[in-house]
Amino acid sequence: MTDKHTERFIESAKRVGAETLRMDSLQDAVAYIKEKAKGTTLVPETSLVKRHHLRALLSDAGVDVFTGKFRDAGQLPGAGVTFCNFCLADSGTVVLESTDEDIRLATTLPEVHFILADPTTILQDNLAAVEPMTTLHTGSEPKFIAYITGPSRTADIERVLTIGCHGPRELYILLVDGISSDLMEN
Amino acid sequence: MAADEKYKKSVETAIANPKLSKALHLFGDAYLIARENAYRGLDFEAMRTDLSAIKDEVRIRRKELLAEFIKNAEAAGSTVFIAKDTKEANDYVINLAKKKGAKLVAKSKSMVSEEAHLNKALAAQGIRASETDLGEWIVQLAGQRPSHMVMPAIHMFKEEVATLFNKEAGTSLSPEIKTLVDHARLRLRQEYFNADIGLTGANFLIANTGGIGLVTNEGNARLCATLPKVHVVFAGIHKLVRNMEDAIKITRLLPRNATGQLLTSYVTWIRGAVPVDGQQKEQHIVLIDGGREALYESKACQNALRCIQCGACANVCPVYQTVGGHVFGSIYISAIGIILTAFYEGLEKAKEITRACIGCRACVAVCPSKIDLEEIILHLRNEVTKEYGMGVVKNVAFKAVMKNRGLFHNMVRTASKLQRPITHKKSGEPDRRIIRHLPLHFLEKDFTEWRHLPAIAPKSFRDQFNTISQDVSNPKYRVGFFVGCGADFVYPEVGVSLIKVLNSLNVEVVFPKTQNCCGIPALYAGDTETGVDLAKQNVKAFSEAEVDYILAICPTCTMAVKRDFVDRLTDHPQWSAKAMALSNKTMDASAFLENILGASALLKATAEGKEFTYHDSCHLKRGSNVYKEPRALLQASGHQIKEMKNSDRCCGFGGTYSFLSHPQISKQITKDKVATIKDTGVKTVATDCPGCMIMLKGAVGKADETIRCAHTMELLAEALEQKK
Repeated sequence: MTDKHTERFIESAKRVGAETLRMDSLQDAVAYIKEKAKGTTLVPETSLVKRHHLRALLSDAGVDVFTGKFRDAGQLPGAGVTFCNFCLADSGTVVLESTDEDIRLATTLPEVHFILADPTTILQDNLAAVEPMTTLHTGSEPKFIAYITGPSRTADIERVLTIGCHGPRELYILLVDGISSDLMEN
Repeated sequence: MAADEKYKKSVETAIANPKLSKALHLFGDAYLIARENAYRGLDFEAMRTDLSAIKDEVRIRRKELLAEFIKNAEAAGSTVFIAKDTKEANDYVINLAKKKGAKLVAKSKSMVSEEAHLNKALAAQGIRASETDLGEWIVQLAGQRPSHMVMPAIHMFKEEVATLFNKEAGTSLSPEIKTLVDHARLRLRQEYFNADIGLTGANFLIANTGGIGLVTNEGNARLCATLPKVHVVFAGIHKLVRNMEDAIKITRLLPRNATGQLLTSYVTWIRGAVPVDGQQKEQHIVLIDGGREALYESKACQNALRCIQCGACANVCPVYQTVGGHVFGSIYISAIGIILTAFYEGLEKAKEITRACIGCRACVAVCPSKIDLEEIILHLRNEVTKEYGMGVVKNVAFKAVMKNRGLFHNMVRTASKLQRPITHKKSGEPDRRIIRHLPLHFLEKDFTEWRHLPAIAPKSFRDQFNTISQDVSNPKYRVGFFVGCGADFVYPEVGVSLIKVLNSLNVEVVFPKTQNCCGIPALYAGDTETGVDLAKQNVKAFSEAEVDYILAICPTCTMAVKRDFVDRLTDHPQWSAKAMALSNKTMDASAFLENILGASALLKATAEGKEFTYHDSCHLKRGSNVYKEPRALLQASGHQIKEMKNSDRCCGFGGTYSFLSHPQISKQITKDKVATIKDTGVKTVATDCPGCMIMLKGAVGKADETIRCAHTMELLAEALEQKK
């Protein structure tokens, strides 16, 4: 969890098409999201969202935070905003425990996905993820964990890389210090 | 039409469509670069050794691991069903759909569902299955099957895709890829929302968590697993791994090897009945045997189930690049497809494609699970031969003639005289003889229209050996020379050159006269019996010779003596120890010169510099890992190398492949090689294999008479002559 990992993560995430930026504060990140987000925005109520009052911050900034049942937000909502559990430096991957259905809807349906990540949770590579991934599977509770590496892509027509097939067309990863260093939390 | 005729026709049709082959070549070239970048800084060899060990452990412990998986999945709320075949698996899904009153199933990619023809089975019950992977959807709309494991619609072009989409939706989309992808995004979004059941495959089943993993790029699997109320996982039982660490290790190899990505856009880990719309999801995991247990039990073929389905064996296969996956495969394509077809659909179905492998081992070199695909394919070819025969020509050639050394060699001598009326002197090479045309017109198309055939030499190497005086007074080593049929009867000058080079370095050459063919042509045709017999003849000849090393100038012969004799004679204890002793001292001549004698230091600039390009023969590079040595030797002797593109891509020879079983495919592969040679602008192409020489001399000679193809040993001997 060194700055070396952060540099590598930013470089790898950019290479796979995720706009990745360091932010000075959560407020700056919120302002950035306000700038980029268009239309209905899904912000699932996770423990970090509650702790950091993210929904209120976004609403106050003027983001159209959806307040109803996510399944009613339409087939192609504008944006989704989430935190994440941890990141992998070598591949530019964000790992997000998404068992709560709202997290899944907010990260699969929208055109744009914003992820807020704490740089201290950046691991070297997916081998380093074996331990937290195993811990996340302790017990026998149902689990849905997503590795997200860049936006949705396909090369199924004439092998031409095309962004935005079935998942978000744009992925923004905003690195903010002090969110949470707990890999089990998002 | 009979199956073999239908197959021949499909080969011809594919070859008549150069657009597909061109696309596959472009993809193959780009793939190699992307893959290399993806593994930068990692030890692929160590990673695949590790994965193969994991998969072997899983095979051995599969019953126990399967029970553990079921227990953990059930504890998390999943329902697990073991289907002994694909019919049972389909029936399970149909019953479930009926119980749920389901009308629509949204599917993400599942190869085993292709194997089960699940969509058809569902349709027969009035249940619509909608493929949501873009490539799978295209193939479904076209009423076809995937032609590649990772890129199902790689055989189609954007114009065809636009026509399909427009027909389905009544639109008039232009054939622009972005427009087409956007259309699929909008159109299929409705399907996830409307579907009663979401069906996905699984890239792994993790025993100690009871969870599954999905490795995807588009995001459709996540939607299929999230939106519908019921999730069905359709997976082969071979997807089991022990734990999270095993699964993560697969994710390190699979995307890198499949598409040159460090990781796909999404890796999704799902365990149990996750929440859906305020309730608990119903998750059914259907685990399918469908021939896998039988494959696990087959000692000769079981390693095929180490496969993680990356599709790399197709990406690098020259046969696949020539004819595509609809010809070279069935549900599963290319090298792994041959094996899986034999076990999942039956040997009969795999009969033709078993013979379509040219044996270049390109797939073996890139396989992330370290499967010796070629070896397994050869085994299956042997099974096909046992079951269906190998044809009259090969029967007589191998069983009646080759096994009898005296008869074989006498026949070659006679043939050398009989061919005279049809041989021609080749310009610029007064001693060389080639066949430009065969007397029977119908043979022209396959044989001499696109290449010269080599003529049998007037005097074989074995008949010349005694006349060669070796001026070596106090030899450093005595080496036995395994000449091989190509150098013995077609290019004896290569053997003569080798003696010159070795003698100049104070090494004496011994030639055991009772040596015979290495047996590979018979084995490749599926005739193990002749292969064993020939192995014994050669082991006897060389054991009696008592030499320090055994050298071959044909990489296929080197592999035969070094590896195959030992394998072929395992069941014959009195022979196997001798075979092993020979194996330990056998190597390719270039490797001996460079690695044992350090010849590049001794040969330093013996010749006047000439430019050359080097063709890596398949069995030398991928069979013996020799590729630096000949380059070092030739450069030391004063020549300058100018590398050709894809120097280690097969030349199209493949022994009897290019003459009897698949001359038309050979022709295309050779055409590629000739083009890359011509692109260098160099007039000398060096190689270390008489088989490649037959192909390259013939085809390059026909294309451009000013380009010369020579064995490394010939060029080295000439360099020594110049020095004198």
